[in-house]
Amino acid sequence: MLALSLVLNGIVLGSVLLLFSLGLTLIYGVGRIVNFAHGALFSAGAMAGVWLVASGVPFGVALVVAPVAVGLIGVLIDWAILARIRDRPMVDSLLLTFGLALLITGILYELGGRNVQIMPVPQVLGGLISLGGISLPAYRVFVSVLAIALTVALILFLKNSKWGLRVRAANDDPEMGACIGIDRERLMHSVVGVSAALAAASGVAAAPIFTAHAVVGDKILILAFMTVILGGLGSLRGAVVAAYAVGLILVFGEGYFGGQLALMLLFIVVMAMLINWPRGFFGEGRTE
Amino acid sequence: MIATTLSERRVRSRGSLIGLAVIAAAGLFLPFATADQPFLLMLASHALIAAILALSLDMLTGNTGLLSFGHAAWYGFGAYVAGLLSKSVSSDIAVLVLLTLAATLLVSGAIGAILVRQVGKTFAILTLALSQIMFALVFVFSDITGGEDGLQGIPIATFFGAQIVSPTVWYAILLGALLLALAGALHIRRAPLGRAWLAIRENSERARFIGMNVALLKLISYMISASLASLAGVLFVLFNGATSPDLLHWLESGKVLMYVVLGGVGTLFGPVIGAVVFTLAEHYVSSFTDAWLIYFGALFVLIVIVAPGGLFGGAARLATRLSARKPGRRAAQ
Repeated sequence: MLALSLVLNGIVLGSVLLLFSLGLTLIYGVGRIVNFAHGALFSAGAMAGVWLVASGVPFGVALVVAPVAVGLIGVLIDWAILARIRDRPMVDSLLLTFGLALLITGILYELGGRNVQIMPVPQVLGGLISLGGISLPAYRVFVSVLAIALTVALILFLKNSKWGLRVRAANDDPEMGACIGIDRERLMHSVVGVSAALAAASGVAAAPIFTAHAVVGDKILILAFMTVILGGLGSLRGAVVAAYAVGLILVFGEGYFGGQLALMLLFIVVMAMLINWPRGFFGEGRTE
Repeated sequence: MIATTLSERRVRSRGSLIGLAVIAAAGLFLPFATADQPFLLMLASHALIAAILALSLDMLTGNTGLLSFGHAAWYGFGAYVAGLLSKSVSSDIAVLVLLTLAATLLVSGAIGAILVRQVGKTFAILTLALSQIMFALVFVFSDITGGEDGLQGIPIATFFGAQIVSPTVWYAILLGALLLALAGALHIRRAPLGRAWLAIRENSERARFIGMNVALLKLISYMISASLASLAGVLFVLFNGATSPDLLHWLESGKVLMYVVLGGVGTLFGPVIGAVVFTLAEHYVSSFTDAWLIYFGALFVLIVIVAPGGLFGGAARLATRLSARKPGRRAAQ
């Protein structure tokens, strides 16, 4: 019974992780940027969501408004800051997003992020749902379904829209994409915006489970990094499989060994995996 | 052609000697200037520890181009290992340094062997993860590490039975360690090992084609860098008498990166100066505002955008440009 309940909780965590990691994969694919500030955007989304709900906005509205707002901030960040280092060596982009993570965390601290803020579970989703004899809070089921739905929607959008076509083209070969007339600046603005919105959406959705404070995104960022490494940097389907693998490893580790050791277990798994398969599950990760 | 490089090298080595002498002189002068302000001497001692830490990261990033986003992992590792050893084994500083360095070499060798095979971005991500794991470890073993409260009650360090208590003596030890480390780093840079590292930094593929064992050379760099960071940790915990998990937090890693970026990657002197400047600035800024993280982050972003070579790097470039303008100077040498 414990195992089944752990599996269910692993799927919940995996879904949140999936939604969060998609943003990382997207921004990496198009801009070749590893975004260290992604976790700070998660925290920003969570805090914005809590603030909105606390000031009387219904949860459903907050779930839309906070990601849109953080998405716009993402566009602003790309336009004002990331655009300055487009053609610089890879090292600069790593340092820049790391600096951004510090800056955003600092701002969140000043906006009240030093204290843990609790987001109440919306009343409609307050009950328990029993699945195969295991009862699970309805909210967790809702979060998983939401995350999966958003992920499917994003993947369909990438496959079927003009924007998705541009993103995939730039993902495969940015220079060639620019040659056939894709405006790289505008595309990057939109990609960073979407990526930030995804981070914020997972932040708001997870806030009733993880709470909200300035560094709530730190741990999930590390988990997401493990996810993208396991799945292969820039590989979308790799990220999907890896997110659930990480979710399950972590929840099982927590169930049997306790919270912090689970993280170690995950790290060891990732390191062991890298010895033989440095390019992720499907071997399509980039190693440049 | 060969003659120019040789003379250039001689000039550069003279420059390094002058730099070392300047740092030594400034460092030796300081205790006399702060004789009536013990707090300033303590701040300077912390700045020296930061400088050793900065140098340790530059030994990795400056030499081989590998960027570590979790260097605090080794700083904290050294501090915790030394702290635990001093409580259980011996409080002799020499014993503690040797034992901790041995432990660091062992662990960093095992982890580094996998890490250095990864390229750029994966390496960066994994180093950050490593520091988070070390951070988590403190809480896993909170009954011996003290968890959130940190490791307290570390006995006063001794040297062959004599207790080291005077702040001036501590300052001298820290200054000596920094100068030794800096001299060693400068020496390695000119030795064949350092030349091989530079080849890897500039083009690791080409280095591999001419028969270098790139993975091994990177591993050596990683282990030396980890050991030096660990040494900074040992000195910190013995000097401070306690340590907390904050030492392993990614903010600490961010600070170390800042020292190096502020000073200029690969310049060795730059990161040392960057660390001292930053430690002093941090102290004074955080004394009038608690939002210093915003200033820190903004400065970080600004420097990466505006002066990727760092302050020292920018100054060095300026000096080269100025000296290049004087015709015939190079030939005269």
